[in-house]
Amino acid sequence: MEYLASDRIAIIDLASGEVNEEPYPDGLCQEKIGGAGVNLALYQQHQDGEPIVLGAGLFTGSMVPGSDLGVVTAKSPLTGTVCHAPLTQYAGMELKYSGFDYIVIKGAAASPKYLWVHDGIADLEDAADLWGQDVWAACEAVRANMGDELIQVLGAGPAAEQGSDLAALMINYWPSGDRFGLGRALAAKNLKLIALRGLGLLEIAEPEDFAAQCLELLGAVKGGAWAGKKGLADLAAGLGQQALADWLAPLVHRHRASFNTPFAANTFLFLEADPSQLSEPPAPEPGVLVGDLAALAGLQGLGLSAAEAGQVLGQCAHLGLDPAGVAAAAAAAGVKDAAGLMAGLATIKGPVPGLSGPLAPAAPAGALFGLAQSADPAWRARRQALAYLFGLDPLFMLMAPELSEEKLLELVGLGIGLEIGPEALDAAVAGIG
Amino acid sequence: MQARQAYGEQAQEQAAPRPAARGPRLGVYCGAGSSHSWLWLADTCEALGLGDLRFLEAGEVASGGLSGLDALAVSGGDTFAMAGALGPAGAAALRRFIAGGGLYLGFCAGAYLLLRSSKEPLNLFNLVEATIANLSRRLPQPLIMPEKFATPYGCDYVFHPVREALILRGQGGPLGEGEFSAPLYGGPAMQPAGPGVEVLATYQDFSQATRFLAPRELAAQTLLGRAAVLRGRLGAGVMYLFGPHCEHPRFAQANRRLAAILAEHTPSQALAPDGRGLAELGPAQARRLLSEVRRQVSNSRIVALALEDHPARWRMGGKVYEPAKLRVFLEALWSRTGALERARRLLVPAGAAELPALLAGVTESIRALRRELEEGQETTERAAGLFKDLRRAAALYLNMYFATAAAGALRPGRARRLH
Amino acid sequence: MGVKIDPLKCTACMACELACGYHRDDAFALLSSCIVVYRTRDKKDYFGVILKQEEDLVIARPEGLEVKRIGAVEEGGGGDASAKPMLLREACDLCSDREAGPLCRQICPVEAIYLD
Repeated sequence: MEYLASDRIAIIDLASGEVNEEPYPDGLCQEKIGGAGVNLALYQQHQDGEPIVLGAGLFTGSMVPGSDLGVVTAKSPLTGTVCHAPLTQYAGMELKYSGFDYIVIKGAAASPKYLWVHDGIADLEDAADLWGQDVWAACEAVRANMGDELIQVLGAGPAAEQGSDLAALMINYWPSGDRFGLGRALAAKNLKLIALRGLGLLEIAEPEDFAAQCLELLGAVKGGAWAGKKGLADLAAGLGQQALADWLAPLVHRHRASFNTPFAANTFLFLEADPSQLSEPPAPEPGVLVGDLAALAGLQGLGLSAAEAGQVLGQCAHLGLDPAGVAAAAAAAGVKDAAGLMAGLATIKGPVPGLSGPLAPAAPAGALFGLAQSADPAWRARRQALAYLFGLDPLFMLMAPELSEEKLLELVGLGIGLEIGPEALDAAVAGIG
Repeated sequence: MQARQAYGEQAQEQAAPRPAARGPRLGVYCGAGSSHSWLWLADTCEALGLGDLRFLEAGEVASGGLSGLDALAVSGGDTFAMAGALGPAGAAALRRFIAGGGLYLGFCAGAYLLLRSSKEPLNLFNLVEATIANLSRRLPQPLIMPEKFATPYGCDYVFHPVREALILRGQGGPLGEGEFSAPLYGGPAMQPAGPGVEVLATYQDFSQATRFLAPRELAAQTLLGRAAVLRGRLGAGVMYLFGPHCEHPRFAQANRRLAAILAEHTPSQALAPDGRGLAELGPAQARRLLSEVRRQVSNSRIVALALEDHPARWRMGGKVYEPAKLRVFLEALWSRTGALERARRLLVPAGAAELPALLAGVTESIRALRRELEEGQETTERAAGLFKDLRRAAALYLNMYFATAAAGALRPGRARRLH
Repeated sequence: MGVKIDPLKCTACMACELACGYHRDDAFALLSSCIVVYRTRDKKDYFGVILKQEEDLVIARPEGLEVKRIGAVEEGGGGDASAKPMLLREACDLCSDREAGPLCRQICPVEAIYLD
């Protein structure tokens, strides 16, 4: 692949420590599009090694609005089936620029390791010192060792090491949106974390036309119903959950978007500092970033105050737990108070409801900001699949119908200089189930 | 979409034409005292189609390294440190080289080096009958960049009232008679002081990109109308001294004039054998070497990027270095990684085997530097060692690259851009 | 006229950085951009934007704008702003080759970048 790609697939065998490379053939992209589509093909190719496959979507890291998504594909310890988990925030972008389009990690290491992926090099490093550390400490240790705070760390926390059903793959300090327990899958390979940094460059087949189309699309997208809204409180209100928005509001500091994603879907809650404070807070850990409305809704549903929910979210982040799964499991177990929940976090068990397919829902059911289509499960499923193939933010894809299939296919031609038609797209969507 | 006018370049300037197919075999000084600007020569010469470059330490200049070269270029840095490193043996070798028909191109510090001086160790050189015109006994208060404002020179100071792009006017000869721009980073204004020294260009005006370290009027008095480029002769050889950095790769007008000088001095006879005892690595060895280079350069430049806006500064000899300069060295390697990885074969000069270990040390050192800066520790010694290692690594790497290029082993066509 | 940044509107999406990189390289890359989202303190939710102009560094922090003259001597004589910050990034040229003006302004989804 010459355009919007690094033309490298890394195959890492943890058992032998060998790292091999293959080119990324055009044909694979034309058939599977990218992201979850190619990930699944690589998973199947290497399935004897129980692989975890990381891949960027076709447009990840590009100027297409919402281009934040990378995808992790593996067998879920929770469902026993192959799933695709989202890499949002800056992790998908960093993967795209890391010098590899796809990374297949197979086998298991004999001793704790971490994977350092940078500029087309994949190094397996000793992680004996990191094993047992919580998510935050491990992230900081790797960044300090490598000398850069912009390194994106996909990690497993102590919950994963202890085999928790709810051990999620984390991004730096925060949950990734993984609902499938892939943190545990990582730890089962004796792999503590994957650190990504890339200073790469993605060529474009038709740069000017591609950029012009992206700007035109952005112009259309900016007129959407979400315009002027930011963060999870607005998102909750936009789903008709005003009570949740009001519950959250007093703790809201600022909102952060994932890479090149117009809607800022991540909200930072200040728990140890005044949320109205703009200067850098003195507290080293003033709060928690939340990007998962389901988690908030679940914790509110337990009867917790927003501050208590924030504490639980913070603890989940340290331990490497999926907070939505934790809330659901706590509800199933009849937990009603924050203290009880916090005390039981280390041993909390699934199951996690709502995981019927290979993709976790990006937003609770309902019409987003009054957009009728987004309440339609079939439309949602199709949009989610497109997001995971093209590398576009799954939540934003539900808000922005302007990112139409026709426009995306037109951009494929301009971006990579290869044609992909609607039939191939249908097949790719069907391929990821 | 490219926008390269930030340095005062003319928008309509065409890419520099390439000189005669072969061009001279050019040595580039990268030894003690040199800063990072010698790397610009690698970029510019490559863009001009000159593939036969070799990079020389001070000891190599003094011990026969000039043999077989058609030209030697000495770019910016600390002139006193350069002169000290070259020493009497280096000065004598240089004198022999030029008198024997060699071409000398001196930019900034490389120009100061040959100007007339009574100061030790500069007085070892004194090859061009001209003096420094931007000397001052008293200095005004600097407006900005106090560390770049002046350099002690005996009882006087070499005074640098401006930086960045200026307008020069050619006075005939290979530089022509038109105006062109080039950046000044502490280089001299010069005054011919003997017969046979020709002024080829003068400082004509300031540009929109010129930054004033002293009031504009004083800067004008110091520079405008004075010699920016001189030509002197010694025996059969010629010396060009440039106050501004006409070798800076972002200044196509100046580069074109440099190309004209090089074309004029391209020998007509066939190229002599390389003479350095180059070894050819087998494919597996080459892959291992280049993979390790990629690994370590990537590791280092990730840290260097994290430091790019760090306010630290280190004074080393007469020069001030900033963290942002770390990347300059690393990018010189990184930008050529793709081309070398695609090469048909890899030719390595002596010493290339130490490159992986040297670069691994650079990675370790730059990471330690960052930690020490975060902790507020004194880092000058660390930084000095790091820049020394980077200079050595860049020289080894570029010698390997240009030896491979000169052997025709780079594949045609553009390598994948890595950024 | 210059690019201005409202740091409180900024959501750190990096679209401006991507757009500027595209303007420089005709490709997608982030190393050449003269506008950079600083996001190293994500644990504290402290982020903003740095813009390199010809003579200044504009630092748009949440609590307000700071303009540092490159190479200027700070009060007290210490000197702080490096003479060569972000050395390998060219200064903002306002995308002078684009009729529509700076690409970063056009691509910002939350109107945090404007011209003044």
